[in-house]
Amino acid sequence: MSTLLEIRETMKQIYTKYEIYITPVLKFILSLFTLLLINLNLGYMSKLNSLLLVLVISLACSFLPINLIIVISAGFVLGHLYAVSLECAMVAFALFTLLFLLYFRFSPKDTLVILLLPLCFLLRIPYVIPIAVGLVASPASVVSVSFGIVVYYLIAYIKQNATALSSMDADNVVAKVKFIVDGMLNNKEMLVVVIAFSAALVCTYLIKRISMNYSWIIAMSSGTVLNIIFLLTGDLMFDTNISIFGLIFGSFVSIALLMVLQFFVFNVDYSRTEYVQFEDDEYFYYVKAVPKNTVAKTEKTVKKITSVI
Amino acid sequence: MLNEEKVKLMTKMAAYEDKEGKKFLTIGSFFRGDYISFQVIKSLIAATLAYAILFGMYIFYDFEVFMQDIYKMDLLEFGKKVLLYYFIFVVFYGLLSYVIYSIRYSKAKKSLKKYFFRLKQLSSMQDIESRK
Repeated sequence: MSTLLEIRETMKQIYTKYEIYITPVLKFILSLFTLLLINLNLGYMSKLNSLLLVLVISLACSFLPINLIIVISAGFVLGHLYAVSLECAMVAFALFTLLFLLYFRFSPKDTLVILLLPLCFLLRIPYVIPIAVGLVASPASVVSVSFGIVVYYLIAYIKQNATALSSMDADNVVAKVKFIVDGMLNNKEMLVVVIAFSAALVCTYLIKRISMNYSWIIAMSSGTVLNIIFLLTGDLMFDTNISIFGLIFGSFVSIALLMVLQFFVFNVDYSRTEYVQFEDDEYFYYVKAVPKNTVAKTEKTVKKITSVI
Repeated sequence: MLNEEKVKLMTKMAAYEDKEGKKFLTIGSFFRGDYISFQVIKSLIAATLAYAILFGMYIFYDFEVFMQDIYKMDLLEFGKKVLLYYFIFVVFYGLLSYVIYSIRYSKAKKSLKKYFFRLKQLSSMQDIESRK
């Protein structure tokens, strides 16, 4: 345990010292990863598939605000969907606009969840998101988690039916829209996942707030268990074909990942070095303010006395 | 000569202005009523647009049935229904945003208190300096 704590302290120090370089690199990795996954999974528009384009955009994203990454990713998704058919892009665009108009005015920080949720779905560990969000955000984030799920299932549905959609009569716009909307509305699996994730999120949030020892760990495990129960019940009720092995295994991986996150990220104050500029009547000040870190000293306890005088 | 205490104070304030204080300072520059009503109006516009999209999708989804029925149905009644739903939607969303922005305004004011206290300290420091 003490080695882990020391690693954490070192990480904290490194982050504080090099925050100015680390954050852009992380943003670069996130946007590169997102765009590559979008291209790998959709990839209908050949122009967007070029690696050079993805690299250039990711590089630009590393210096731009994080919300722009989601706008660009949404643009990529819309582009690929447009290549399948105009109607797909239309439905997705309507969905994005609705969310932007109704929800993100209130909490623009939640956009990251929408980006991460489909990514985690593709990595087969979506169960990590509702619990992580429950640990660090508020129950209002249920909206963005649900929307992330809807976006993932919309993309999955269109991907599944891409050939059918592109072979449908081009003039029959209404039929295509109906086909997509029907597919989404009748998607019982999506509904079950939305309910299960929302329940897990709220449960995690409520338990985390109780003041007791290990509330974080208890919140994590109970959220995960509740999630599993809801998904399995939904599977029984609607026959959603959720793979039980995948669910259990994914949940275990998620819990392990959450433990790591909790230890290294959620509970640690990565206070940054501030670079500020200001002036008064006499001087210009360019100040670098480094936060005082309390470095945990390794406590020495005498466990065994080897020699007695 | 550099006044170390003053530099410390100014650094803290500049860091606040740069990070968490940024949005609070913009909110704090409005009167409560002005800020909330401006935000609620924006919400109402957003809700209207969202309703238009939803309505458009609904019509588009059932376009064939809708076109078949359009001569048979009571258009006035349909219009009334659409307006009623619009009204409910907008009022609900407006109320929600009123509550959210009221909370946000009082939060901003609370956070700005410390900042203004530091501002006062700074100005008294400058007074003393100028008298020297």
